[in-house]
Amino acid sequence: MNNGKIRLNTEWLCDCGGCHVALVDLHDKILNVLEAVEIQKCPVLTDVKEYPEADIGILTGSIRTEHDRHAALEMRKKCKKIIALGTCAVYGGLHGAGLAHSREEIMDTVYRRTPTTKTDFIPDAGVTGLEKIVTPVDEIIDVDLYLPGCPPHAHYIFEALTDLIEDREIKTRQETVCSGCRRIMKKTDISAIRNNNDSALDDEVCFLSQGHICLGSVTLDRCLAPCPNHGIMCTGCAGPTMQILTEPTHDIRTEVSDRMSRLTKIDAADIRKHMEKSAKTHYAYAMATKMIGNKPTFLIRKWIAEVEDQR
Amino acid sequence: MLEMTIHDKSCRGCRFCLDVCPTDCFVFNEETQKAMVAKVDNCIACLSCTSICPAAAITHRNHHVVANFYRNINFSRRMEKFL
Repeated sequence: MNNGKIRLNTEWLCDCGGCHVALVDLHDKILNVLEAVEIQKCPVLTDVKEYPEADIGILTGSIRTEHDRHAALEMRKKCKKIIALGTCAVYGGLHGAGLAHSREEIMDTVYRRTPTTKTDFIPDAGVTGLEKIVTPVDEIIDVDLYLPGCPPHAHYIFEALTDLIEDREIKTRQETVCSGCRRIMKKTDISAIRNNNDSALDDEVCFLSQGHICLGSVTLDRCLAPCPNHGIMCTGCAGPTMQILTEPTHDIRTEVSDRMSRLTKIDAADIRKHMEKSAKTHYAYAMATKMIGNKPTFLIRKWIAEVEDQR
Repeated sequence: MLEMTIHDKSCRGCRFCLDVCPTDCFVFNEETQKAMVAKVDNCIACLSCTSICPAAAITHRNHHVVANFYRNINFSRRMEKFL
């Protein structure tokens, strides 16, 4: 405590910076938080290079470079409580899809083979080395609390911060994106999976009922469901539901195919096959975590090889 | 005494719970297009409805919880820490 205030450090690792923007997205409510919190280190607000002692440390992003690893370890040493904020910190995030390729492949594609790239060398100055794989924060350091979301909606950040500041018991919410979506799930005669631009969509009816792949039912609601409510299928950015994470045989594709086949006339096996073909997209946000990666039902390398064989 | 509730606002009206319930605990309210618990006494706490519900809207209380022996240990250790 400093002047009766809780000291807060935040640090970003490999991420887009959106989670830090989400912190600022508290708008006027940030004033309530600032009454109780002193922000010491925060890459978007303060120019502090070292890691001061703090009560709460918020880490966003996953471990992708040597610097990320160093920053995470320093934060753990100096902060009493570490919160992994955002899907990248909790599950590895979107760039976790990099696991499907080797480090050399990625470097080569980015710096040498991209059609718009003019250079033909891999930079080695000014940046720390790329690690072999993407690692969620909790595989490197102990994490006290997790708040997934891409980014988590300010509503959840505020709730979490005030619970922590006031030392209240934390609430684990299990609702999925469907719980915040206003579309009606009804049974239809749709007999084939449709692409995003195939047809005009009914704004009142669930995407699954209309033959579109939507991950709403397998994704934690940490967003208040803006995408499906505005006509865009859920891509699962807040990561899988508690049920998928707990049950070894439940999986993103098995649950979506089960529900979609009950709503439409499409065979569950066809939906599963369809999702396996684009598995890198559907599993991107969470494939770097062992909670998904070690599942006996998660066969990403096999699925990618099958697609490549067909080319 | 076992309790079962549906979070009304979360219910998407898919009727999956009516389809899977082995003891017909639910009815469908055509007016609101939402499922309702009709006979909680019938419930055997198989949790099939919880598992299939797309919105995780169904909650059971005071039911016998089976130990986590077959669960994903990587996640089970972290579950309590999720905000």
